[in-house]
Amino acid sequence: MNSKIKNTLASNEAIVVYIIIGLSLLIGIVNHSFFSVSTVVTLSRAILVTLTFAICEMIVIISGGIDVSFPAVASICMYATLKIALAFNIDNVFVVFLIAAVIGLMFGTLNAVLIAIFRLPPLIATLGVSSVANGATLAFLGTNVISNIPDKIDAVSRMYLFTFTTKDGMSFSLTILILIPIAVCLLAFFMLKFTMLGRGIYAVGGDANAARIAGFNVKKIQFIVYMSAGSIAGIASIAYMILMRQADPSVLMGSEMMVIAAVVMGGTRITGGHGSVLGTVFGVILIALVQNNLIMLGVPTHFQTFVVGLIIVIGTSITSLRAKKISNSAKV
Amino acid sequence: MEKMKKSIKNADKNITALLGIAILIFVAMGILAPKSFLGITNLQGMCIQFAEFGVLAFGMMLAMISGGIDLSLVGIANFASIAGAAVMIKLGSSNASIIAGVLAALAVGGICGLFNGFMIGYLRIPPMLVTLCGLQLFTGLGLVVTKGPALTDLPPAFNMIAGGTVALIPIAVIVFALVVLGVSFLLRSSVYGQHVRFMGTNATASRYSGIQNLKITMMTYGISGILGGVGGILMASHYNSAKSDYGSSYTLLTLLIVVLGGTNPDGGRGKVAGVTLSIIVLQLVSSAFNILRINAFIKTFVWGMILLAVMVSMKLLENKKERRSQ
Repeated sequence: MNSKIKNTLASNEAIVVYIIIGLSLLIGIVNHSFFSVSTVVTLSRAILVTLTFAICEMIVIISGGIDVSFPAVASICMYATLKIALAFNIDNVFVVFLIAAVIGLMFGTLNAVLIAIFRLPPLIATLGVSSVANGATLAFLGTNVISNIPDKIDAVSRMYLFTFTTKDGMSFSLTILILIPIAVCLLAFFMLKFTMLGRGIYAVGGDANAARIAGFNVKKIQFIVYMSAGSIAGIASIAYMILMRQADPSVLMGSEMMVIAAVVMGGTRITGGHGSVLGTVFGVILIALVQNNLIMLGVPTHFQTFVVGLIIVIGTSITSLRAKKISNSAKV
Repeated sequence: MEKMKKSIKNADKNITALLGIAILIFVAMGILAPKSFLGITNLQGMCIQFAEFGVLAFGMMLAMISGGIDLSLVGIANFASIAGAAVMIKLGSSNASIIAGVLAALAVGGICGLFNGFMIGYLRIPPMLVTLCGLQLFTGLGLVVTKGPALTDLPPAFNMIAGGTVALIPIAVIVFALVVLGVSFLLRSSVYGQHVRFMGTNATASRYSGIQNLKITMMTYGISGILGGVGGILMASHYNSAKSDYGSSYTLLTLLIVVLGGTNPDGGRGKVAGVTLSIIVLQLVSSAFNILRINAFIKTFVWGMILLAVMVSMKLLENKKERRSQ
């Protein structure tokens, strides 16, 4: 029992939590307004889409692959769905989410076919798909930012779980869209922990050959992983569109770096087979905290990319070094 | 022996195919738009462009032969060019300062590459992760130096590196040719070239056969970084300024070139001739698109399609061969 507590306190998740607490204290000391409900609300708004992407990315990485195509896939889902909705006068939130999920599913299937059937290296396959999706969005659909979202869909951006008003009349509201990442997290948690599919994903990531011999259908698992990642990317893109109240075909591009970094910081091994939902949640929170609050610490804006990069390098080194240490240690 | 013959035959097939495509585009464009495509300005313009990403592609190729990947090349190129530009500006933008600036850029590129190599070889962090982080880190470092806007006020003669010509041949092409010769010498005739191929084929086996994997990895990424620096100089000279977000589309492009050129993404195999030809083919495609006034974004789309198509057909050929040999 004692060793179990010790293990928990020294796990990857715990280390990320220590860093988060330390950083929060540091920011709080420099700027007292940090400790407030408003910070929580802003932060949860900031991590909403990133967290959804990160959970998908984590599952893909656990299965031994990597997906760098989701920003492009999400962009095409968001933009194409809005164009379809405007063209056919669709003004229903669920239909819009469904269309986006289907478009995402198609790209996810493409990824899966390339990786599972043609056995391309996942990085190169998804990089190619990313280029195709991004090129298709900008070349065939358009480059303009669309902001006339149908009314009923737009109304979702004003639906709140709760509203918090400060003494000086500033009100902060937690958007209802936060339920999406929460649902995805819970789903992923139960899937990975308690279903045969989840255990299969870990097995495939650990050693695809061994998993096949143990009786897992490797191709089926890879298909499920990439297809669900694609469709959830589509759903997340609509959440992003509603949140921002506009559809910008290139705003999400380049976010893959941060998402992968958040996943790896949360203790997921890039080589596959290891990772937890909780760790990813903490990783995403840490990155969002760093990105959003460096200004509060007095770090000039032009230093931010560097500081974020440095934190990612250190964070990923720590997790990789720990993995190396574990694999070098004596095996029972 | 039998196997070797087969692989030589196969590599040659790849190169002949590329050569065929290049000639095809040349002829097609020569008929469609003879004046603008075969004009001396277009040919020179093409040369300046392909030199930039061509040099970067060789960095990517070396990393890939060693069994890794270098996604940070564009970041290194920009950071190196910014460092070089900063040195030149500090020295008063005189023409003599160009040498100092170029040396600084190469040194910075090399150091960045060595950093990558150290993380990969010593700390054993997967190359993809290191270089992806490196891209962010080096871009960030570049931003720290420039504080956002581009560094201008470079010496007037600096522009000559990309823009100048010697007997109608742009200097950029001469630089590119030197890089091609250098890399092919390294891979063909040096001990390092043999070792890097061994390491890329099987890192464990190469370690047991007495090759110092750490040294080879550091060298590979160091050279890749220096090539990034060369690319950065060409880019800065072309735009006559240095900024941390130039050439962001080059990462995908270099990957495409290297794979198209017949380099094995799993490491161990790669030919300079194939990569050189694929650089030229892609530049021809790109110029043809520009002259035919096709939307620039379609280029991204087509490049992605080509990458996937090439990879899939390569895999299919491989499978066929395996089945036949069984």
